[in-house]
Amino acid sequence: MGNANGGGAPRRPRPLSLSLVLRRCAAALATLVFVVLANFFLFRILPGNPEKTFAPRGRNADPETLRQLRETLGINDPLNVQFGKYLQQLAHLDLGWSWSKKEPVLDLILRGLWPTVLLSGTALVLASGIGVWLGSRAGWRYGSRFDRWSSNLAVTFYSTPEWLLGLVVLVVLSRFGLGAGGMTDPRSDLPVWLDVLRHMLVPVLVLAVVYVAEYSLIMRSSILDERRADYLTTARAKGLRDDLVLRRHAMPNALLPTVSLLFLSLGFVVAGAITVEMVFSWPGLGRLTYEATRGPDVPLLQGLFLFFSAAVIFMNLLADLLMPVLDPRVRQP
Amino acid sequence: MSSTSPAPRSWLTNQSAQRVRARVAIAVAAAVVALSALATPAAADGTPTPGTERSKTSFVIGMKQDIDSLNPYVGVVSAAYESYRLMYDYLIGNSAKDFSPTPELAESWETSADGKTWTYHLRKGVKFSDGIELTSKDVAYSFQRAKDDETANSQYGSYVDNISKITAPDAYTVVMETAQPSPIMLSLAVPILPEHVWSKIDATAVANYANDSNPVGSGPFRLAEAKKGQFYRFTANKDYYLGAAKIDELVLRIFTDDEALSQAVQNGEIDMAQDLPAAVFEPLVGKPGITVNDARYYGFSELAYNIGAATTDGKPIGDGHPALKDKQVRLAIDHAIDRKTLVDKVIRNHGTAATGVIPPIYADLHWNPGANERAFDLAKANAILDAAGYAKGADGIRAKDGKALNFRMFARSESESSQKDAEYIRDWLKEIGIAVTVSVMSEDNLTAVLGKGEFDLFHWGWVVEPDPDFQLSVMTCGQRSTEEDGEISAGWSDSFYCDADYDALYAKQQTIIDRAARAEVVKQAQAKLYDDVAYSMLYYYNQADVYRNDRFTGFVAQPSDGGILALQYGTYSYRNIEPVTEKAATDDGGLPTAVIVSIVVGVVVLIAVAVIVVVLRRRSTADDRE
Repeated sequence: MGNANGGGAPRRPRPLSLSLVLRRCAAALATLVFVVLANFFLFRILPGNPEKTFAPRGRNADPETLRQLRETLGINDPLNVQFGKYLQQLAHLDLGWSWSKKEPVLDLILRGLWPTVLLSGTALVLASGIGVWLGSRAGWRYGSRFDRWSSNLAVTFYSTPEWLLGLVVLVVLSRFGLGAGGMTDPRSDLPVWLDVLRHMLVPVLVLAVVYVAEYSLIMRSSILDERRADYLTTARAKGLRDDLVLRRHAMPNALLPTVSLLFLSLGFVVAGAITVEMVFSWPGLGRLTYEATRGPDVPLLQGLFLFFSAAVIFMNLLADLLMPVLDPRVRQP
Repeated sequence: MSSTSPAPRSWLTNQSAQRVRARVAIAVAAAVVALSALATPAAADGTPTPGTERSKTSFVIGMKQDIDSLNPYVGVVSAAYESYRLMYDYLIGNSAKDFSPTPELAESWETSADGKTWTYHLRKGVKFSDGIELTSKDVAYSFQRAKDDETANSQYGSYVDNISKITAPDAYTVVMETAQPSPIMLSLAVPILPEHVWSKIDATAVANYANDSNPVGSGPFRLAEAKKGQFYRFTANKDYYLGAAKIDELVLRIFTDDEALSQAVQNGEIDMAQDLPAAVFEPLVGKPGITVNDARYYGFSELAYNIGAATTDGKPIGDGHPALKDKQVRLAIDHAIDRKTLVDKVIRNHGTAATGVIPPIYADLHWNPGANERAFDLAKANAILDAAGYAKGADGIRAKDGKALNFRMFARSESESSQKDAEYIRDWLKEIGIAVTVSVMSEDNLTAVLGKGEFDLFHWGWVVEPDPDFQLSVMTCGQRSTEEDGEISAGWSDSFYCDADYDALYAKQQTIIDRAARAEVVKQAQAKLYDDVAYSMLYYYNQADVYRNDRFTGFVAQPSDGGILALQYGTYSYRNIEPVTEKAATDDGGLPTAVIVSIVVGVVVLIAVAVIVVVLRRRSTADDRE
């Protein structure tokens, strides 16, 4: 592959040029800057009296203390002063201090990141793997019993709320030694990795089952698009087995939308699955987001959303750069 | 490209698919072997991580609230106060019987004749967990810091601001002087911290100090392991001076779902579930091995009125309906509320109808009108409104001076009972010619709305401390909102009730040290609120603790008359529970669990390997074009 004949000018456009990479990076950076701005003002319009929520309730009869607390939390400053402080902190990679958790936002995010990636990441790998397999088979044998069953099941699970499915599965399975939530059992005598594995099993399966439809349906419709294509007739005419026609010829083309979707989802992996993390008491970023809405805990919400946006932007950038490599049709001359 | 068809190649590595497959298989196998190898020594001696040795008797309590900070100068939620109570001691505690003051670090105490000088005599030989003795130096330090340090003061100011001088004449005596005689000196909930540790954490560092690794304290338990959001492991202090715990280890485990919490106590992962809602604990009643303790609690629910929202300067704010300033209107509404129905239907008899703002769980402070209790009587309510000049219009809605009795009522989205109560009350008020529009909003939103006075009626409640001071302060004029540079800031008042006689009663109870004499004034203050219909008190609700009676016994209720078993003002249950049999408490499923887990995990690993191989195989053929 590629241009072995060094003398001749390359006829095919190169998958990636330096200017393309730079342009894409600049666009990603511009988006991130916009997010930083929007992020700040977005959470300032949320209703609430955080100083009351985070005051030692019942302990301080003194309204003066509430005023003091407003001062400490920085709510009293005018918006432009708050914004200046926010930018200054960001420049030092400081995401601020969580009002509800009483520690730096960055520490909280880093602590919740690993459980979330473990849970949502594993579910994503499972869902995309199974989804691609199901979708390609269903699309290839369009209208078959396999197609009807797998598509209907996928849509059914896709339309089931994750928390409901999670709750049902938890109630049914928790007595079989799989834990009623959390990441570890403080009284378990299993090695830690096995204990974590047994606790993540049910939530991962629930998430995977719900997400499978995203991949199987997209894969199925892309296979349907390719199914009647001329190049497949050619492949068949060469005498290739049906299975090989699917795997070597139809799949590579049909996979492209799935790859885009996968990269989009990878960005969202860090945002976790709020409802599933809540049902399973999973100490990840989804649960942290839910808990941050109480108050509201503005610095924590702000930090989390900035982090999530950055992850999505980064993954989109990666997808943008990778697509020309995978698909010659989107290469630019 | 060459015309001979090559073996399928991976676009990733440009190697033959078979070789890629073989490599993946080898890599996965190696990973599994490595993981098992890593795990084997840990499994062999049963210590997954250092410092978490499995104790003999371990009691695990599941709860929904996480500890916000283990630093006693920072955390504000009740779970955090629970952890301070485990790790530290106080001068004076609350008894298990009736919350009355009981000796803790202070063996005895006396007050001067004018009630302004307090002398506390400390126990001798109390040691911190690092072996250093706790003396008056540490007590004086803790109180002085609570006064001077801004972070500490925002936490404990209400106890110490009144204290003008703290001295330690000898190692076991502390003397404090106050400007006014004050009963608060009998319930100083300021934890005593070791000076030799905390003096190294200065005023700026303390706000960020996590206090989560081997904190030094003198309390009945010691923190061994903290996993924020997951669990907190405490080991018993076997030399505790008030009697060491019979269990070896206490674990607070955090759950974020009620149903999961209920499952955990049923399958024995935890030994107690704290604060379950009725719909979740009711199915557990009567299950073998499980006790549901439907305990009396400190909380009440009320319907509150906007009695004329204003700032502390008396400047009106908000847009409350003026008719609610009229006591007759509030009185009529109060008569139109059928508390019996609310208790029956909404909280399903897990509570009792309410009158005074200090709940009956504080038996000596609680006031109730007895025979003079206002009855549910729609005819009487109608008569009151007729007499007050609110005439019914053609649409059945009453009006006076051209202003119809059209009220907004806010219920809370976080509370199902709040929404149900609001609907019942709306229907009853319709019967007496008052139109109510119910809207449901978040507690955060409602808090903001209340501070600005932009409401007519709302449904909420309070959780009342053993000392009645704060609860009574909520209804004083000084707790109304304040205005500074055109910005309105909320106080703790949510009714904007303001009455000079009431304020005088509140101020009076603050200076009476004698418990019985103070209780008289506290009762007068409650009677005043009831007569003025400052709130329409709805009910005192219960709180349920669910525990495994086949594993642990010896729980101590606070108060002893039907009180709660965990998250008490004290550590009575934790220090007195013991396993029913040695086996029950240590046996955690044992072998079957491990076998099931291993099988399940094995299957999962197999599936994962299969998926990875399939995906990579497909990828490997993806670029094979001929």
